[in-house]
This record gives sequence, C-alpha cells and structure tokens, in this order.
Amino acid sequence: MAKQRTPVLKVTKLSKAYGAHPIVSDFNLEVWPGDAIALTGRNGAGKSTILRCLVGADKPNSGTIEICGNRLRESDPAIRRDLATVIDDLDFFPDLSVVEHLDLLARAHGLPDAEEAVDEVLHEVQLVAQSGQLPGTLSSGQRRRLALATAFVRPRKLLILDEPEQRLDVEGVEWLATRLRAEREAGLAIVMASHEPRLVDAVSTRTIRVGA
Amino acid sequence: MSKKSRRRGPSPSGGAQATPAVQAPPAPVVAPEPEPEPAPPARVLIDVTPEPVSEAALRELMRDWRRGRATRHLWDMIQDGYVAVLATVMIGAMLVSVVVRAQGAVSACTSDSCQSSRTLLPWAALCGVLALTLMVSRIFGPVVASAAEGFWLMEAPIKRARILWGRLVAVMVGAIAIAAVFGGLIAALSGSSWAGVVNWAVAAGLGAGGLTALAAEEQTADRTWVMRTLQWLVGLVGLTALLTVVAVASGWLANAGWFAASENRFDLVVSVAGGVLLVGAGMLAIARLDEIRRARLVSGGSLVAGMQGAMYAMDMSLMRDILVERDAVARGHVRPTKGHGTGLAALVYRDAQRLVRFPKQLILLLLSVVVPYAVGALGLGVLSPVISGLVLLTAIVPLLGMMRVLSRTGGLARSFPFTTAQVRTATMVVPAIAALVWVAAVTPAFAGLGTGTAHLSWTDAAIHAMVTGLAGLLGAVRWVTAKPPDYNKPMMQMGGFGAMPPGMIGNLIKGVDIVALVSLPLLFGWSYWISVIIAGISFFILRGSVNMTDMAAAQEEQKHQLEAAKAEASAGKKKIPPPKR
Repeated sequence: MAKQRTPVLKVTKLSKAYGAHPIVSDFNLEVWPGDAIALTGRNGAGKSTILRCLVGADKPNSGTIEICGNRLRESDPAIRRDLATVIDDLDFFPDLSVVEHLDLLARAHGLPDAEEAVDEVLHEVQLVAQSGQLPGTLSSGQRRRLALATAFVRPRKLLILDEPEQRLDVEGVEWLATRLRAEREAGLAIVMASHEPRLVDAVSTRTIRVGA
Repeated sequence: MSKKSRRRGPSPSGGAQATPAVQAPPAPVVAPEPEPEPAPPARVLIDVTPEPVSEAALRELMRDWRRGRATRHLWDMIQDGYVAVLATVMIGAMLVSVVVRAQGAVSACTSDSCQSSRTLLPWAALCGVLALTLMVSRIFGPVVASAAEGFWLMEAPIKRARILWGRLVAVMVGAIAIAAVFGGLIAALSGSSWAGVVNWAVAAGLGAGGLTALAAEEQTADRTWVMRTLQWLVGLVGLTALLTVVAVASGWLANAGWFAASENRFDLVVSVAGGVLLVGAGMLAIARLDEIRRARLVSGGSLVAGMQGAMYAMDMSLMRDILVERDAVARGHVRPTKGHGTGLAALVYRDAQRLVRFPKQLILLLLSVVVPYAVGALGLGVLSPVISGLVLLTAIVPLLGMMRVLSRTGGLARSFPFTTAQVRTATMVVPAIAALVWVAAVTPAFAGLGTGTAHLSWTDAAIHAMVTGLAGLLGAVRWVTAKPPDYNKPMMQMGGFGAMPPGMIGNLIKGVDIVALVSLPLLFGWSYWISVIIAGISFFILRGSVNMTDMAAAQEEQKHQLEAAKAEASAGKKKIPPPKR
C-alpha cells in the first residue's frame, strides 16, 4: 500500500488537566492507515481522557489534533465523515429499533447499498433476533454490540474505541479481535483503549502504556 | 519484634540479670506456630423460628435513622431560605389578587360566549384534572417504594401493607389538595360565582382523590386497562366541553345544550361519586396493599427518584426523557420499517416515521387547536398569541424527540456527517409542517370566528397565527436544545436562595422566553414585522448557526496558522550583517 502524505491522526503536545490535576501531558501520536494503536494502563491513567480529546468530546488544555490533515472540530462534517467512535457517550433514539438505527446511519452517510450493509453488520453482531427491539429493552452486552455496529455500518478512515471489549462475552471478544484485525489489514487506522490482552495482541501494531 | 512485644516477652533468663559484656549469638529459636482458634460453628438459620416483627417499630426505626442523619431542621432551612419564602408568599398574594380581579371582570360579562364559557370551562378543567390524575397515578403507581426499601424491607417476612398504607393516604390527600386548587382556580377565572368556585374545587378534589384510590386498587390487581379507558373517556368529555365553548361562541350552537342543563349538578355528582370512590376503593386498596408486586412498587420508586434528581437540577427536559424512555421500554418491540433517501433526507424520513409509529404525540397538538378559539370565546383575544404560543410549545415538544436525542449528548450527533445547524434544521422539518397545519387550523380564531365578531382581517389573522406558530415552534426548539445547568462550573451566590450553578434559573424559563420575545410585540400592538424579525434571529441562533465553540476553534486555528507563517518567514529570513568600516 502506498503511504499517503498526511497521517490519519496527528496529535501534537496534547495536555489535559482537570482543575490543577494534570491527566495527560505533552502526548504525541501519529497514526497512519493500517496502524492500530492500543492504549493500555491502569484505571485512571488517562486513556479515556485522551480518547475523549481525540474525538472532540473534551477540549484539551493545549496541543493540536489533526484528522486527515484537518484540525479537529467536532461539528465539522468532514471530520464526522472520517471518524467513527465508540466511547461512553453514545446515545440511542428511544423510539427507533435496532435495525432502524443502523439503516439511518448508513443512509445518512450516503451508503449506496445501505440495506445490504445493515444486514451484514446485524448478522455479524448477532442482533438479528433483536432487530425490532427498542434500545431501552436491550441488555448491556447487546447495547455494546449495537454501539459497535454503528461504527461498522458506515464509511470511516479512523476508528476510535474505548474499551470495546466491555460487557462482551468470550465469543464476542474473539469476533471483535478478528473484525478489527481485518479492518486494520484493509487500511483502517484504529486507536483503542483496552484492558483485554488478547484483543490488544491480536489487533494492535503498537502499544502505548499510558501513565507508566 | 515490636517494642511492645519486646516489653511483654519474658526474659529468656527468667529475671533481671546483668548483661554480660560479650555474649555468644543465641541459637535461633523457632517459635511454635500458635494454634489457630477454632472457628465458631456457622449459624445455619434453618430451624430458627423467627419472632414476630413489628412493622410499626420498623417504620419508627427508619424514621429515627432519617432524622438522625438530617443535618438541618426544617426551621433552619426556612431561616436560610427566607428570601425564597418571602418571594413565594408575595407571588402567592399577587396571584390571589389577580384571580380575584379576573373573577370580578369575567363574571361581569353577560354575552352568550361568556355564559357558555362560564358553564363549560370548569367542566373541561375538571376533566383535564381528572385525566391528569389518572395518567400520573398510572405512571407512578400510585403506591411506590424506593429501590432500597424494595431490596431490604419488602423481601422481609412482614406485612407490607402496614408500611405502605401511610404513603397511599398521603398520595390521596395530595391529589385532593392539588386538584381542588386547580379546579377552583379555573372556575374562578371563567367567572363562576364564589359558591360555584367552592363546588368545582370540591368536585375536582374528591374526584381526583377517588380516582387515585381506584388507581391504587387497580395497582393491587396489576391491571392498567381500566385506568387507560377511564383516562380516554374523561379526556373526551373534556374535549367535547371545550369544542362546545367554541361552537357556542361561533354561533354554531344556540346554547351549551346538555352541559347547560346539568349546570350546578354535575359538580355535585362528581363530588359524591369521588367521595364514594375515595372511601370504597381506598379501603379496598389498603386491604389489598400486600398484593402489589415488589417490582411494581420499586419501578414507581425509581421513577420518582429519577424525577426528583431532574427536578433538583430544574431540568424539565430530563424529566421528559425519563418518561419517554419508560414509555419506549413498556412498548419494547416495534415492526421495523425501511428507510428512504440518503443524507439529511433519511433523517427527515425517519423523523416522520417516528410520528406515524407513536401518533399519540399528536394528541396534544390536536387539542391545542381549540385553545385560540376558547381564548377568543372568553373575550381574551388580545392575549391569544401569548397563551396559544405557550400551549403550542408544549404540544410541539413531543414532536422534537429526534432533535432532543441529537442535542443532549454528543455521541450520536458525532456519528452523522452533518453540521449542528444541518441536523437541527432537518429535525425541525416535521414539527414545522405540523406547526403549519396548526396555523392553518387556528387562523379563523384570530379572524374572530371564536368570538362571533370580526377581530382581524384574514390576512392579518393569518400573519398573527403564523407568528404564534413560529413562537411555539421556536420556543419548543429552545426548550429541547437548552443545555442543562453545569455543575462543573463555579457556583453563583443567589442571595437567600443559596449557591446555584450558572444556567439553573434560565433553565426554568427556557422556551417561555422565546415565546414571549416573539409574541409580545403583537400583544403590545406593535407591527408584526417586529415579531417576524425576532423570530428570524431566534431561528438563526437556535439552529446552531452561531456556534461559539466552533468560532473559538476557528479563531484558534487562524492564530495557529499565523504563528506558523511567522515562524516560516523568520526561518527563511537572512540576517544582513551590519556594514563594516
């Protein structure tokens, strides 16, 4: 694969503090297509804070973040088009079913074969039986699968995941590892925080220990 | 070995002796492991006969704990919040004064429309109060228990009824008091005599109390269909009463018909029926309180806790979110439908589909059509833009569900490749169409159809209705998209009210402020163009065209580029050495 000129994600001297308590200081990162970066570290080390800054959910105190050469602005449609995220602030429409959520996202992104894509993802995350259910009635594991499905059903260049293995069963974690590895090999850039060594080993090309 | 154990340990030589100058190193002694104390036999509580439990004693115990953990007494709180208490007393006095004056003014009106309003509006208000009582009782319980009580107390071998009866009685008394105030207020405002006001207040109070008792009795049987059916019936009677007001005022009906015939008797019928229901169903419910499922009790308790949390933050939108989520969970499953279009069109299509799926969201909008006619019939046509705008706000909010979800957290909005302004505009399309239909339906009311006399020309009426529709729509958008109070920011000192997070007071009037801004120029008799311009500016701001975060980010970006350009220029600049002589 010919390497493109600009990285998919470029983080320069990112710092974030809550009050006087610094969480992240001078964090630098460059992610190119086909890279999978795993952030590991103890609880409270700052992994989720970094990811929240990377997706624009939190504003860093200093430093710059560029996605595909564009300075990060959360409401910029170009950024939203390139960046798929599964972090803890995902919400669902209470009155749209599982399959309708996925269909809406696929169509909003202008996917030409939206129905096929939705069917494939639905099978993959094993939510076919729940396709007509409203999100409020899903179990926590099923909600996690739906959240992951929302990231897989739409076009993306960078995938940011915060502990994607959470609440998944053993088979679910294995499926996720296989899927993410395939995505990486196809050229997707991935940044994820994880406490699951099997997932990290299977997917990541580089591991960064945060707070070490 | 610690100093303490050294002090306690016996001397190896057995007494106080002079220490020899040189001592051979002592041979290592392995202290024997102390014998572990035998574990007490496990208490297997199989064959223990429990002693009878006194539920009253348990209740007292809980009360003592609560009192013991309280950091302040009620009197302390009143002293601390004396400004709030004074403000409440002053506002209450002002409201009473306004009601007394309004009652005097409206009771002087003797036209047909005023007469019919006086006869029918208390009916409609009574039915509204009773329907609301039924709805609230059904949603919450009406008998509730907190999650902690459900886990620790309700599982114990006790008579639950002895713990729960007190709160059922409290709920019934609360329902009686609130409904009586509301029923009496509407009767007074529609110009009834003071005896009539008392009659309607008693009817509303006893009716609401009786229905609460009935709801509790149905809760013991784990049924909801009786309450739902009653709710619809009562609502229909109320709507018929409102429509009759409009019909009489418009001259379509000569008088209030059946409603007028039962004047001064219907309130008594409701009072007696409510009283009988209150005693009969109340006693039955208390007798059967033990039969209420724990899950049903705790579910209502959790809802109350969620509502209390939202109430403390004065976040009405969150309260609504909790109810909507609960409604969706109760439904559980829907028949999935295919989407249409791509991009923003897909969003608009799904929004319309939600409305078709949950058509009851339209009920309030349909009911709100009657309001401008009823206001006109009461002779308060001048106030119609403000009153109708506020009612339309509450009717449009349910239609803005998609905008609400896409505004409350960033996660889902981030998944869509659109700007905030695009998302908000797209999610405004369906409610805007609904508002447009409402405008068409109420234009005759602004033209004076509800009063029987021409009020405005048809063109002016259409513009007034349009401005009112815009006020309601934009007010609803503001209500839905307003940010909740931010507890992460420094608190603000608010005099006697104590410290409050910024935005808390603004949260109380969100939506209402926009309705007032847009509709007040009409009330003052100014040109409607002022309202149109204010509405245009409000729309521009509310749709997110002015995003302060984005503007700050863009400014920062420009600064960054400027610094980079300067750095590049200075790097490329060659220093010219000073000339040598």
